[in-house]
Amino acid sequence: MSENKRNLWFFLLPLAIFLVLVVFLLLGLFSNPREHDSAQIEKKLPQFQLSDLMIDGKRWQREDLLGETFLLNVWGTWCVTCDQELPYLTELRNQGVKIVGLYYDQEIDPDFGESMDITALRAEVKDKLARLGNPYQFNILDDTREMLLDLGVTGAPETFLVDKHGVIKVHHLGDINPRVWRSKFARLYSELKAGQ
Amino acid sequence: MKAMLNLLFGAALMTLSLGVLAQDVEELRQFDSNAQKQLYKELTDELRCPKCQNQNIADSNANIAKDLRNKVYKLVKDGSSKDDVIDYMVERYGYFVYYKPPLTAGTIVLWLLPILFVLFTLLLIWVKSKRSREKVETGQWSEQQEQRLNQLIEQLNHPQER
Amino acid sequence: MIPQLGYLSLTIALGLAVMLAIFPLWGAHRGNIQLMNSAKALALGVFFFTALSLLALTYAFIVNDFTIAYVATHSSSLTPLRYRITAVWGGHEGSFLLWIFIFGLWMAAVAVRSNNIPLIMRSRVLGVMGFVSIGFYLFILLMSNPFETLLPYFPIEGRDLNPLLQDFAMIIHPPLLYMGYVGLSVCFAFAIAALMTGKLDATWAKWSRPWAMAAWMFLTLGIVIGSWWAYYELGWGGWWFWDPVENASLMPWLVTTALIHSFAVTEKRGIFKSWTVLLAIAGFSLSLLGTFLVRSGIVVSVHAFASDPDRGLFILAFLFVVIASSLALYALKASHMRSYVKYTMFSREVFLWGNNIILTVATMVVMLGTFLPMIHKEIGLGSISIGSPFFTEIFSYLLPPFALLLVITPLIRWKQNRFDSVKKPLFIALVLSVIIGLGLLSVGQSFVDNLALMGLILSIWIGISTIQAVLKKKPVQAQGFAALKQLSGSEWAMVLGHLGFAVAIIGMVMTSSYGVEKDVRMRPGQTVNLAGYDFNFVGVKNISVENYTGHAGTVKVSYDGKPVATMVAEKRVYIVQQMPMTEAAVDAGFTRDLFVALGEPFDDGSWALRIYHKPFIRWIWFGGLIIAFGALCAMMDRRYRLRRKTLSQQALAEQTATPQTQEAL
Repeated sequence: MSENKRNLWFFLLPLAIFLVLVVFLLLGLFSNPREHDSAQIEKKLPQFQLSDLMIDGKRWQREDLLGETFLLNVWGTWCVTCDQELPYLTELRNQGVKIVGLYYDQEIDPDFGESMDITALRAEVKDKLARLGNPYQFNILDDTREMLLDLGVTGAPETFLVDKHGVIKVHHLGDINPRVWRSKFARLYSELKAGQ
Repeated sequence: MKAMLNLLFGAALMTLSLGVLAQDVEELRQFDSNAQKQLYKELTDELRCPKCQNQNIADSNANIAKDLRNKVYKLVKDGSSKDDVIDYMVERYGYFVYYKPPLTAGTIVLWLLPILFVLFTLLLIWVKSKRSREKVETGQWSEQQEQRLNQLIEQLNHPQER
Repeated sequence: MIPQLGYLSLTIALGLAVMLAIFPLWGAHRGNIQLMNSAKALALGVFFFTALSLLALTYAFIVNDFTIAYVATHSSSLTPLRYRITAVWGGHEGSFLLWIFIFGLWMAAVAVRSNNIPLIMRSRVLGVMGFVSIGFYLFILLMSNPFETLLPYFPIEGRDLNPLLQDFAMIIHPPLLYMGYVGLSVCFAFAIAALMTGKLDATWAKWSRPWAMAAWMFLTLGIVIGSWWAYYELGWGGWWFWDPVENASLMPWLVTTALIHSFAVTEKRGIFKSWTVLLAIAGFSLSLLGTFLVRSGIVVSVHAFASDPDRGLFILAFLFVVIASSLALYALKASHMRSYVKYTMFSREVFLWGNNIILTVATMVVMLGTFLPMIHKEIGLGSISIGSPFFTEIFSYLLPPFALLLVITPLIRWKQNRFDSVKKPLFIALVLSVIIGLGLLSVGQSFVDNLALMGLILSIWIGISTIQAVLKKKPVQAQGFAALKQLSGSEWAMVLGHLGFAVAIIGMVMTSSYGVEKDVRMRPGQTVNLAGYDFNFVGVKNISVENYTGHAGTVKVSYDGKPVATMVAEKRVYIVQQMPMTEAAVDAGFTRDLFVALGEPFDDGSWALRIYHKPFIRWIWFGGLIIAFGALCAMMDRRYRLRRKTLSQQALAEQTATPQTQEAL
């Protein structure tokens, strides 16, 4: 009789394994398979040497961004979702949040010898920011898209929350709106600001 | 005669120009060696496009895939090894970007479970064959009974016609 | 009117399915012949009304009835007629209707073709199938209704079928695949019925086996067509991507391959019974799991339907009920099963067990590889990806021992054997394989690749060993080929199945090791050489057809100056969905494929082109077709077609007199 009982436990194994699997499948239903963590959290902002978007001759580098908690916002005038977040980002700026823009053009391939018409671009940017709001202290132009690669950026808009030591604390893919700000950024931002 | 010479000349020119044209066709990616070319192909097949619906960067037309292909090309031409390039990408995009999972406590089950299963089944076969031998030896079931049983089964399968 | 009729038909089918789930099973429990007999009529009724519903939807597509939401989103009046019909299964709701139609088809097949099976068993099988189908009908009626209307504001024009699906392969791939997936439910039902009855023996194995074979045949065909389609449509000439949805079809296939081999042992020797039952349950469970995977949005894949967590939840609940109850029943009943048959370590039984082990490990690996990224993320360990490099590595470890089993097993007898008796033929075959393999590669290719050499040797060894096994059974008399006629259907199945496998392996290793490609930039008039072929780029012209426009690039291929083919590669933009698509040009050949894809244009009028030479790639699909044909031979085996009226009558008299469960032998 005891052998039969031991047998029963053995034959229950497939059922047990299946039940465990179902639990994970259930969890999987409520998570987003497209969402995955950024590899940049707690990493230092990468080194870079890039020009300012609007001002001739002005160069920016990593050291210029240290000392204050800020948002690094990756965007472009060609990006439709970026248009949607500009007004809210401007609101944040008015509330005292420092926002630096990282601009790029997705079509230009520097290896193919293509170059952008900087004057036309500046006019476009000026026009857009005048219409939808200007949240940026200044804009950095990543013409080779090297810095984007170092930041693990896959598209626009993306926003990084960087502390005063240049360490990335949050990497958000998609637009910033009140809901996202509240759930992902607000508390950490005020903590970092308080520690400044 | 003149026509023939013209023809010959024309043919020679065409063949020559064909040869020249064949050499003029440039490959989109130039490599220093065949090994480098292989490495590039391997890497672009095994690195994942971080924004696509499950495609490697070789197949995807997304902008990010194009940029990553260019980066891999540059790194390979500069002499990086396969591990160097993978580390570079994983550093920036996480393990998600490489189609082979790292060997960690969380992923060891991928290799462990199959191996354990094989060992388990081998154990099972051994135990079962031992037990079947035991059973026969302790007389719970004998060859005679086996034969009688087979007889009965035969009768059931092939009933005598009435 | 038509959509309402379609929906009503499904409701009636559901009602009949409920009756089918209750009456025959109750009849079997009580020994009530009338109730048990109702199974056949009810099953046919379910099938009839489901067919009616499918017909209604098809009609709506043919006449461009855009008042129906599903028709409007998956078709347009510009879509060619044959694709308007295939659009019926082009999206989630319609493909699910196809699924339950095919389920009804299998139910009807079982109802009609099981006269030699005792009534009590037959009624239980159909009852179980009816029970399972209830979940499907509830799902389609409540959560996935293809007949939902857009009234009163319906569009004048539809959104067209996804261009990727406007292809011949779309006409046959899903139906074949579903025939396989759904067909596994028959074998599953047989297993559950046998567990219920308590009679699990060689006879049960004999009844179930052809149904497993049939489902396996369709599944093989479905996967082969899918691979071939992906090859010329998606990606750049790849034939398997280890995509989660592809894996969802591979897992039941691997398990069913193990099942048909396990059946052979159970039928012949009466052992491995509980394992065979478990495999039968697992096969259909994996089918259900695959359905869940594809329709729930739980994985990211090009093949997946649009994600809907509500639907996913329903399917998960349904598959939980079906699989959990089956496995619980299995645990309860299987623990009482015992077999007292002797066999030594070197016997066909053990080697077939080895086959099962490797196939189960392979299934495990595919399952782990598909689900671990999701689980890994859920536990909070971060995101990982598991794809081609992992799977191909593990499968390359599994192949040699598996091939070895294929080589040895047909040569060994049941129950016991001595290695000495097979030593000589094995050795001869091995030596021959090495000579032939090495010879072919040294002569035919510019270098000898180790992986290809190993694959080739193993495949040739399998081929020679299979022929040896046939000769062993039927010694060749004066007329050599007459011996072939003496082979039974099952023996043909083994020969063709194993040969087909070997052929497929050759295709896989050759194309993987010796395939070459060139990524070039060409101006019209230029020529490039690859693998001895000259590819002359003629030029590009604009094209405009029924529902797409674009560019067509023509390439003239010659070998040694002699023209071989004219290939036209296209870049299309489909008008309605404004979706760009690359349609590669493929020149198919028995020993090689040439593949040309048109890339981007440059400013100076030149174009990017990708050119491939793929040796023996067709052998992969030929191999699969040979395997499927082998399965067909197995189904046509004479012993399934003999009428056993006397036996069934006797068995019926016995069983209806004593309906309690019997201790299985």
